[in-house]
Amino acid sequence: MAAVNRDRFIVRAELRVGNDSVISYGFDLTSSSVFVVTEWNAPVGTTVSLRLSFPRILDPIDVTARIADIRVAGEPGEPAGVGLVFDEASAGACLLDELERVESCGEASPSAERPYRVLLVDDSWLIRDMFAYGTAKFFERPGALAIDHAEDAEEAWAKLAKSTYDLVIVDYFLPSEDGASLIARLRGDARLARTPIVAISVGGRDAREATISAGADVFVDKPLVFRDLFNTLRVLAERRERARPVPERKAILVFDDSPFALALTRAALESAGFTVAIAADLSSFERQRVAFDPDLILVDVQMPEAFGDDVASTLRGWHGVEVPILLVSSLEQSELERRAQRAQASGYICKGAGMSELVRRCRELLEVAP
Amino acid sequence: MEDLHAKFLPQFVVLARKRLALALTAAIARDHSATSKVVRELHTLAGEAGLLGLHEVVPLARECEHKAKALHASHSDADADLLVGGLRQLEGVIERIGATAPKAGNS
Repeated sequence: MAAVNRDRFIVRAELRVGNDSVISYGFDLTSSSVFVVTEWNAPVGTTVSLRLSFPRILDPIDVTARIADIRVAGEPGEPAGVGLVFDEASAGACLLDELERVESCGEASPSAERPYRVLLVDDSWLIRDMFAYGTAKFFERPGALAIDHAEDAEEAWAKLAKSTYDLVIVDYFLPSEDGASLIARLRGDARLARTPIVAISVGGRDAREATISAGADVFVDKPLVFRDLFNTLRVLAERRERARPVPERKAILVFDDSPFALALTRAALESAGFTVAIAADLSSFERQRVAFDPDLILVDVQMPEAFGDDVASTLRGWHGVEVPILLVSSLEQSELERRAQRAQASGYICKGAGMSELVRRCRELLEVAP
Repeated sequence: MEDLHAKFLPQFVVLARKRLALALTAAIARDHSATSKVVRELHTLAGEAGLLGLHEVVPLARECEHKAKALHASHSDADADLLVGGLRQLEGVIERIGATAPKAGNS
């Protein structure tokens, strides 16, 4: 069977042998063979069950295959793994159809009206520069691929709330919140759950298991082989569906020094359909306020760094913030009311009123139906 | 909201026990340098309990917060004893809640 020229796009590879199963990735896919990156190995000739897929490129296809060769890790870009040859002619024919579809779709697609948008979440400036270089090198048409960056999970979340991305690439090792946690949040969000996610890391097996368990479609080891990754991006860009309108979700920024209060408030507001960003200190709050551009701000009153009413007052008077601001506190109601008025806040919520009341007030202020 | 309550209650109990242990240790030892931290911890405890709708906890935590503030101003043994008494009462309520809550990490 003929191989297809558009080789080395990355696929998710799920290997099963008896009770063992491994989820990894593969490349060099043809209608008769594939190379799967894995530390797992068995003797040459061992029969394995294999499921290959990649969202928006290759629908899951199950094949039986034999290990044809075993490779130990070599130079960068030559990871350890197994070369597999497919057993069944019928599966090969099916794969050939799929690959030809991949091959031909580029020409069939209308020229892109907007770039294929990727959010790269990685705190390494070197990786960012390499993506910029790869974009220029691998994409012939200027503007066909647009890569946006986020340094950490919170910045990524803020960008995801405000923009639509066709693909998210997440490094596992991120400051404060790791990539697996961010991926789990993405998968838990109704609007973002179907976005293809590629996890990347130097962390090897542990990072792969953590990110795949969290919901990544594919994990790719660093150092990245840019030829494979950009081939995959190019195929994705050519195959992408026209962007569907994104239902508008109101964005709420919550500022509280208690991590527990932040987690609980975020969970309650997200389950009510809001997009939520959180901040536990002033610098994070200011960064989030600018990046997230919230429709509503909730501020705790008594915090070690600042009083919430002073924060609200500064936002109104100094920054000209016009969106509603609510003070949230366990202070006495009369005291809270006085502080809210003085700070020109839109109102206040006693923490003692509970989460249901907090959600109700947010809906009321943002005119969102329950 | 019931799901959230079940999910976050065990975590609340763990945190509340830590805050109370800190407050009790400081009050019993008459460690007045720690009193302002105790006030903050009790204030936070009250807020977290309020968000979870634990109406039995909130007034007790607020009362302890006021007692800690009084102790911060007076440094007196009498105010320290009053605070210890309030904290013991709050501790009993937290333990009662903890006995019925699912174990932390199981949620």
